[in-house]
Amino acid sequence: MYYKNIKPYLLIFLFCSFIFACGKDNSVNTNYQNYYDKESGGRLINAMTGEPSNLIAMIAGDSASSAIANNIFNSLLKYDESLNYAPEIAESWSISSNQKTITFKIRKGLFWADGEKLTSNDVMFTWKLVTDPKTRTPYASDYQLVKKASAPDPFTFVVTYEESYAPALDTWTALHILPEHLLKNEDINSTYFSRKPVGSNYYKLDGWKSGQQVSLTSNPLSINGKANINNLISRIIPDTSSQFLELTADNIDLMNINPIQFQRVFPSRKDLRNKIGLYKELGNGYTYLGFNLKKEPFNDKRVRKALNFAIDKNEIIKGVLLGLGEPLSSPYKPGTRWNNTKLKPYPYDSIKALALLNEAGYKKNKDGFLEKNGKILQFEILTNQNKQREMTAVIIQRRLKEIGVDVSIRVIEWASFINQFIKTGDFDVVVLGWSLSLDPDQYNIWHSSQQEPGQFNFLGYKNKRVDSLLEKGRVELDISKREKIYHKFSDILLDDSPIVYLYAGYGLSAINKRVRGIMKPSPPAGIYHNSYDWFIPKILRRNEISDI
Amino acid sequence: MISYLIKRVLWMFPMLIGISLISFFIMHLAPGDVTSTEASFNPKSSEESRQKLREIYNLDKPVIVQYGLWIQRISKLDFGNSFSSHQRPVLWETKDKNGNITKGLIQEALPITLLINLLGITVIFSISIILGTLSAVKQNSWVDKSITLFVFIGFAIPGFWLALLLMYWTGVSNQWLPISGLHSLNYQNLTLFGQFTDLIKHLILPVFVSSLSGLAGISLYVRNGMLEILNQDFIVTARSKGLNEKKIVFVHALKNAILPLITIIGLSIPGLIGGSVISESIFAIPGMGKLFYDSVLMRDFPVIMGILTIGSVLTLIGNLIADLGYAWADPRIRKGITK
Repeated sequence: MYYKNIKPYLLIFLFCSFIFACGKDNSVNTNYQNYYDKESGGRLINAMTGEPSNLIAMIAGDSASSAIANNIFNSLLKYDESLNYAPEIAESWSISSNQKTITFKIRKGLFWADGEKLTSNDVMFTWKLVTDPKTRTPYASDYQLVKKASAPDPFTFVVTYEESYAPALDTWTALHILPEHLLKNEDINSTYFSRKPVGSNYYKLDGWKSGQQVSLTSNPLSINGKANINNLISRIIPDTSSQFLELTADNIDLMNINPIQFQRVFPSRKDLRNKIGLYKELGNGYTYLGFNLKKEPFNDKRVRKALNFAIDKNEIIKGVLLGLGEPLSSPYKPGTRWNNTKLKPYPYDSIKALALLNEAGYKKNKDGFLEKNGKILQFEILTNQNKQREMTAVIIQRRLKEIGVDVSIRVIEWASFINQFIKTGDFDVVVLGWSLSLDPDQYNIWHSSQQEPGQFNFLGYKNKRVDSLLEKGRVELDISKREKIYHKFSDILLDDSPIVYLYAGYGLSAINKRVRGIMKPSPPAGIYHNSYDWFIPKILRRNEISDI
Repeated sequence: MISYLIKRVLWMFPMLIGISLISFFIMHLAPGDVTSTEASFNPKSSEESRQKLREIYNLDKPVIVQYGLWIQRISKLDFGNSFSSHQRPVLWETKDKNGNITKGLIQEALPITLLINLLGITVIFSISIILGTLSAVKQNSWVDKSITLFVFIGFAIPGFWLALLLMYWTGVSNQWLPISGLHSLNYQNLTLFGQFTDLIKHLILPVFVSSLSGLAGISLYVRNGMLEILNQDFIVTARSKGLNEKKIVFVHALKNAILPLITIIGLSIPGLIGGSVISESIFAIPGMGKLFYDSVLMRDFPVIMGILTIGSVLTLIGNLIADLGYAWADPRIRKGITK
């Protein structure tokens, strides 16, 4: 019979296709160790997890958008390699003697990528745009402090503040200048320009396939000169494991990796180490444990300090980041002037912690828990769905249990976390992160006036000395005086211990070794700082059939 | 028959309103709105600007008012624009005054998901019918047992794990297939045939992985249906008449055994537009699953409601088609309806 003659070939084939997963070594015999001269051309492919939403940075809020937009647009000023202010669209700037007026001299002979002239009118237009109430930008407040702005001639732009404002220069490094001639008749909130921008920086948009990739090509009219690499392609691959497979198959050149890949996978894979370089640099954020200062027992400084002593930060860095992070003692990036090097993080010292808690009235009960007035010391750590924060909370829970503190952990989706708990103040302790911004101003986070729902001092920190330091620091433009103010501020903050600084993690990148010119060790501004100067030697170029 | 059809179609409208009402309110039960995303938790942004955004999107109004506004728009078939900063239309492309076309979110994601799911369903049903028939005919033999084992392994294997293994095997160590994405980088420069094979190459893994878990259910359906039919009197009669066994199995038995599959196909129509977040993320395919998931996290209400509405319309149509298909295939039911 027909069906009886059917041999289960298909079946065997299907089974075998699972079992015979044989690995074949197909490493290319390219010598990545050779020296090559700088030459321009080539194509660099990187991977990003999210798709940019809008290339007008003042409207977009996501990091993917600003990563792409930074290659296309310029600001008046920028940060140089060592994080000092440097000219970009402005060739120089001067501050008036009353510290309220800044005059920017715009460079002459600048052009937009479409050939139009870039002048102070564009700067003026951008300022009007960002402060226009109709513009849906979350970042207007810094620019609304400008009382009067003017462009007396095409190469001068003057802003006058109501009061002197120290972070002003920092805000002018962040505002991408937009072309007036293309946007004056457009609604900035919905303009097609956000998907087809014209800028003045190294690259211009070449193509954008929704959900798949964004391609940039070098802009011959760039105000900073021409970048070495001709094309930048950002592929959108949401899953980092898939990104990693693409990297190992040489389909992408660059991705951000996690501590496990950095510390475990690469050391055990010689074939990968031969062709992929690893880079680490201190990231732009830190993770902290924050106390609800309006609540018992966290309104007691001794309790906060005790808990700070009872948490072993190095253990967390080792366990969660596999050693790829640093402990902090101030909210500033180590290595920058704002970081007060005299301050040291609270060391792990459970004896001191217990002594402080005893002083605060806590005694061990018969179950081994600390107790005061019949109430044991217990609280809930709240955090959002973030693997590293969850693991951090678990390690803290265990350490605090050792000294007799009963800690539970609750992990919540972000929007609920903010609306149900942070805005209502209904929490004990949170594990969250803040960015390590380049300007030291921390008014929005620590000033006692910033405690309304939706504002950022949700921990309820209130300290008169800190308030006055933050107010002073905001109006002081002299850098060395400012440095002193913020060193003092960090000192008080560390002693008050409203938060426990847990760690600042490293940003980890893996870049194919055919990409040359990357600075190692990375400068304070990070390895991407000189990405315009990276190059790919002709002999090492790949994946470029379509260019020919 | 016609009056039955009209009645069924008319019934869909109150159902749709009910569904949209429930989904709208449930969606608003979740705390937070588009201004409370992780990116907006930035000390450089101000609460005033978030409040402004809420007013622009009417999020400061009571939910019932928001629902009224939504119904007003949707009755004109206007699905609105996304709350996300790209402001793209939810359903269909729009053209600005300079002639630039902004594609709709669903418009871009739906064809991709539909293609993958249609291919998936075709693969699932054709393989399942073969496997199910084979197991039934060879009941309790080693063929039957190994097929059952195979489909259950396929059912039990976590898709993301298998996907990553296959990506490694076919993409990294052998470089037979592309690892992720929908097109190669040089897609634009390929010939039409080249583009077609490029797309097929990119789809092999996603379709294979998504079909594997579906084999178990359908093939067992077919197997049990077949067994039941093969034991019936008319098959015995056919056999005793000396009819060709091939004809008995494939013409007389199979036709009856796959009848219930029509219902399943009908019921899987709404599933056609729902992509899997996990497999879309792993294979970097910009489909409906990822779109829906991201809009829920963003609290992008117009997009969520857009997808839900289209999903419920398709579900209702799917049910209708299943019933009609049944009537078409089975004279007993057809008679029942016309009465």
